[in-house]
Amino acid sequence: MLETINVSKSFKGKKAVQDVNLYLDRGESVGLLGPNGAGKSTTISMISTLIKPTSGEIKLNGVNTVNKPADIRRVLGVVPQELALYQELSAYENLKFFGSIYKLKGKELENSIQHALEIVGLKDRQKDLVKTFSGGMKRRVNIAAALLHKPQILILDEPTVGIDPQSRSHILETVRSLNETDGTTILYTSHYMEEVEQLCDRVYIMDHGEVIAAGSKAELLSILSSEDTIKLELSMIDELFVEKIKKLEGVRKVETASSQLKVIAKKGSNLISELVYLADSHQIQLLNFQTESPSLEDVFLHLTGRTLRD
Amino acid sequence: MGSFIKKDLFLFLRDRKELVVALLLPIVIIFVLNLAFDGLFDSNEEATLDIHLALVNQDNQEKVTESLQEKLIEEGSFDEMEATAIAEQASYADPVEALANFLESEDLQNWVTIHDLDETEAIDQVEQGEIDGMLVIPNDFTVESLYAAFTGEPPAVSLAYKMEEETANNGTMYDIINGFIDNLNYQFAMQQIAGSNEVEVVQPQGGVEQLGEGETFTMSQYFTLAMGILFALFLSITVAAKTGEEIRQQVFDRILVTNSHPMLFLIGKMVSTFILAWLQISIVFGLAHLILDVFPGRSLDFWLGVAVITLLFALAVAGLAAVFTSIALQMHNIDAANGVFNVIAMVLAVLGGNFVPIYVFPDWMQRVSEWTPNGLTLSMMMEWLQYQQVSSLIMPSLMLVGFFVLCTLVGLAMYPKRGGAK
Repeated sequence: MLETINVSKSFKGKKAVQDVNLYLDRGESVGLLGPNGAGKSTTISMISTLIKPTSGEIKLNGVNTVNKPADIRRVLGVVPQELALYQELSAYENLKFFGSIYKLKGKELENSIQHALEIVGLKDRQKDLVKTFSGGMKRRVNIAAALLHKPQILILDEPTVGIDPQSRSHILETVRSLNETDGTTILYTSHYMEEVEQLCDRVYIMDHGEVIAAGSKAELLSILSSEDTIKLELSMIDELFVEKIKKLEGVRKVETASSQLKVIAKKGSNLISELVYLADSHQIQLLNFQTESPSLEDVFLHLTGRTLRD
Repeated sequence: MGSFIKKDLFLFLRDRKELVVALLLPIVIIFVLNLAFDGLFDSNEEATLDIHLALVNQDNQEKVTESLQEKLIEEGSFDEMEATAIAEQASYADPVEALANFLESEDLQNWVTIHDLDETEAIDQVEQGEIDGMLVIPNDFTVESLYAAFTGEPPAVSLAYKMEEETANNGTMYDIINGFIDNLNYQFAMQQIAGSNEVEVVQPQGGVEQLGEGETFTMSQYFTLAMGILFALFLSITVAAKTGEEIRQQVFDRILVTNSHPMLFLIGKMVSTFILAWLQISIVFGLAHLILDVFPGRSLDFWLGVAVITLLFALAVAGLAAVFTSIALQMHNIDAANGVFNVIAMVLAVLGGNFVPIYVFPDWMQRVSEWTPNGLTLSMMMEWLQYQQVSSLIMPSLMLVGFFVLCTLVGLAMYPKRGGAK
């Protein structure tokens, strides 16, 4: 349905995005994962026609839209990262304004507004000024404004930044429902790995303006399928103790954080008994331990050497 | 288009701070200025003028024709025939009589009382403060002034206005007499050029011109007009500042991703600015009138004229808002842009006479003032306030429309292409 082919963007000679290839099939929910500055927002800006790519193509149903932006705008709903709303207007007035510039009129406009408000759960508060809303409610109006013209593709740029867990959960549920019930194609960008894991069928991981990995969750996790992760909670951490763990056979990486230790080792290394023995010999009390399957966060760490929030 | 206009109107009307600045602040300033300057510059004071003037006539008006003829031959190198002809022509003129008629004219008699006194008595009464001043018509004034008028030489004697102390009454009287003399000289000069055989001394207009032909204006009227115009001018900056917020909050981007034409955004800003500026000035003028009775007893025609001038100025403000909005969209730093807009508006306000009455400026500044939309509007308002002549508004109206067209073209030319906004 929507694809970008070798899309690049340079600002004053500096490449912000380089040769990005994305593909979204109809009804899919695709995640775009990456830390701040990875090039996600620039990629989205190009897809949503706000900026022109320096090179490459953006195709909608096989037709290049770079020079014919009107086609893609008709089917696209964009939820920007910022609260792109008029704070002095009510939720209803905001939606009425944005609906009318999508050329909706009369009953159709009114129905669209009420439908969008229902989706985001703000029908009761529609007459209140946006400035009186909580951060989470504002984010929900921000989403509603992108739904008025019933877009086939919805792009959400970090829609849960800085909000309370309850609103976050509401937004995630809304996005899931739009995808599963209404069949809206979703492109969801975030640096919250767990959101992407929860919502998306496929994930693109971006870093430094490039797509560094892509595929379904299972495909991405298989990158790390040769590893086991063991998390230990200890009464204290001793440097000598850490050094000895690093020398154990099969251990690939050891990370420390206050009283916690994360040991990444070759799959099937069976290190637990050795770790218990080592802790005991250093008079360190083992408070808790667990083995973990790798997450997308681990995949990102593996690919880039840093975490998503670095 | 309607959605953009409605949105901008709502945004302005919901912003309490802006409303206070736009509506309340000018009223407060007008009120304060009205109190501060009440009676200091107020032109209403002509109603309370009661000038007592001593007229001391020392002129020898006998044998004027003969004396003038002799003087023309002896001092003016005229031959006898020429001198006779000039003297005969001059016999129709009597400057002293013209002055007396002028001082006793209907225009002056309500507030000037003439006392015919001899010099000693006049000095006495002036010194005692019973009389404001004395006007001395010196000996040979008629002959000397006629000789001067016909030969183009400076007169050997002149009227003397004497006063004990400088007061508003004295100053006014002095100006009026000076105006009379200027007019008298002008009439003589005209008569010479025309070659008429009769000198008709027309009553001078000079200092009494305003009383006779048009209404005067008061300082409170001036400040009401100046403040109303000033604050409407600043509306163009408010609109541009709101554009800055729309960019910052990505609302502008959201508008761009709809398929609406980007120019609608700018045109919406212009139309809403036009409506707001017109409403703002109308409300300020209306409230000032209701609270302070600034324009008492004015006709419906007067108010219609004010409404039309206000509409034209609102158009100019809308044009300015287009330029500022386009610049705001091009600037990286919207705060810096607002700073620049404020400086521009302040310069326009100073040049346009919104802070200091324009007539205290030197001539060149008054001319510059009429090239600013606010200065031009203020002068149109003052003209309308005094004379209510539609013909005098045509040219300035065209200039305001021209300013609007020019600004609109500049605004459209500077409006960024998609992706060009910062």
